[in-house]
Amino acid sequence: MSHKDTYSSLFWIAIGAGSFYEGYRLGVGDLHNPGPGFIFFWMGLIMIGLSLSILVRDALRKFPAGEMTSVWSGIHWKKVISVLISLLLYSYFFTTLGFLLSATILLVFLFKAVEPQRWRVAILGAVSSALVAYLVFYVWLGSQLPKGFLEIG
Amino acid sequence: MDLWHYVGIGFSVALHPVNLFYCFLGVFIGTLIGVLPGIGPVGAMSLLLPATFKSSPEAGIIMLAGIYYGAMYGGSTTSILVNIPGEAASVVTCLDGYQMARKGRAGPALGMAAFGSFIAGTLSIVGLMLLAPPLSKLALQFGPPEYFTLMVLGLTILIYLAHGSITKALLMAAFGIVLGAIGMDEIASTPRMTFGRMELLDGVGLVPIVMGLFGISEVFLNIEREIRRDIFQTKIRGLFPTAKDWLDCKGALARGSLLGFFLGILPGGGGVIASFVSYAVEKRVSKHPDRFGHGAIEGVAGPESANNAATGGAFIPLLTLGIPPNVVMAMLLGAFMVHGIQPGPLMMKQNPGIFWGVISSMYIGNIILLILNLPLIGIWVQILKVPYRILFPLILLFCLIGVYTVSNAVFDIYIMITFGVVGYLMKKFEYEGAPLVLAFVLGPLFEVNLRKSLILSHGDFSIFITRPISACSLVLALLLLLSPLIPALSKKREAIAKDEIS
Repeated sequence: MSHKDTYSSLFWIAIGAGSFYEGYRLGVGDLHNPGPGFIFFWMGLIMIGLSLSILVRDALRKFPAGEMTSVWSGIHWKKVISVLISLLLYSYFFTTLGFLLSATILLVFLFKAVEPQRWRVAILGAVSSALVAYLVFYVWLGSQLPKGFLEIG
Repeated sequence: MDLWHYVGIGFSVALHPVNLFYCFLGVFIGTLIGVLPGIGPVGAMSLLLPATFKSSPEAGIIMLAGIYYGAMYGGSTTSILVNIPGEAASVVTCLDGYQMARKGRAGPALGMAAFGSFIAGTLSIVGLMLLAPPLSKLALQFGPPEYFTLMVLGLTILIYLAHGSITKALLMAAFGIVLGAIGMDEIASTPRMTFGRMELLDGVGLVPIVMGLFGISEVFLNIEREIRRDIFQTKIRGLFPTAKDWLDCKGALARGSLLGFFLGILPGGGGVIASFVSYAVEKRVSKHPDRFGHGAIEGVAGPESANNAATGGAFIPLLTLGIPPNVVMAMLLGAFMVHGIQPGPLMMKQNPGIFWGVISSMYIGNIILLILNLPLIGIWVQILKVPYRILFPLILLFCLIGVYTVSNAVFDIYIMITFGVVGYLMKKFEYEGAPLVLAFVLGPLFEVNLRKSLILSHGDFSIFITRPISACSLVLALLLLLSPLIPALSKKREAIAKDEIS
């Protein structure tokens, strides 16, 4: 199970099965009158077939030692995960905190925690970037951005 | 006579001060993102799509088109000075461009890249002007079977040219079609795969998917490893190539322009394939192929003219058939739709101002690019020095703002993050994003035309082989899919894929 295509093909089999099931549930119809589930059903089936072929080919392939480690080795995992979590938290608090506050906090975090900078650079960079983005998108382009509890904007 | 009349309309639109400003903005941003690593033309276009909501459709499309061909110019600067391509179509320029810079000839390399891009870009627009009208007339005769099979052919070519496994590319295309079908069914008015979410009734948005796959995932990939960019320290002087340089390059420029234009029309081809093919051709026809890779100026002129000519060619299937040949054009199709314009055979008649205005603006854009890229080269070199640790938070912020302002829905931010993770894993496991996005955009058209064809023929699949255009498209698609079974062709395809990856 250390072949990397095995993991990915299992994932796509699951997605294909979901599409296949949804297509069946929605109604496949027939060739004279294809139903709303027609495309999901057949695409799901095709996805399962293709994923199975990748799975089988991978299982039969002679595995070069350490392939999985070559994909994941030398990676700064902490950075990727912390950026991902910060993006999720930003999205969660976006409407409550409002754009300016949430963007500033996110940027300070990204400037400081992920690729450490001096505090002054991080805070000044974050505040000025958030303000410029606010002026361009909210004031100039008239885009809708949440005001949050501070009611700024 | 008609052509000149329409060209007149086009220039009157393109030369309007507001449209000129948007054209400048587009090519400026295009050059900028071409210079900066980590965000490509697709990401930048999706980021700026909301900015076009307040503008007129022609101004918005002119700007987005400018980003596309502007990025092709900008990409060459990083290839020549840093040996890191700003975007995929400039990969091959590194080979000889960087070597020229090392030998103190950065100026002529940059100059030839800019002049070559300008000449090829302009020639391809002439080709677009001449080919688009007759193709539009031909496309008026197309029915659902022709459209369906053309889309099958388009997707097949893209899949065939994908790096690595065809099976994986096919899988991505199937997934893209499934994603594109989510939402309200046009024929039966039934919600499909919406999981009770109101936000999904209109389908999954193109912008969150594209930004996730090409913006967020790229940031993840760049921060997981240390990137070192060594800018070649040299004084850039003599941007105008010498008479000998011009003599050496005249064939390369002509061949690159022609190759690029025709390869640009092909779905999935675009600038990347065009630049690689041009480099291979130049090396083959050269009397001194051993100079290639050691600073041959033809190795810069050919690929740079090819990737710019490809941008003009790529507009042909979009503007005449309504079928985008690559992801960037798919993005542009999305922009047209946002403004209520359906590109296709009727566009030239229904919206001549936009059709010819966009084409004419590309002439002007090419001139602006020449001015931006030659006298202002010093500014781009300075921008190259901005470290990635400063850039990536800003890229993320702009992605977050861009995706929210399209729909004003936090739900779309979650979709973007999800596709960011999916895109990151896809790159790790060698699945390509391009077939997914193109199939996603074509998916709804693909489905509707398939179902309409089957309803028309009472469920008889022979409708696809009894009509000449659809039969030809299907035969070509089948040949491409079966070609990996022929060892010689399979080896050739693998060689192209390997070249692109390396």
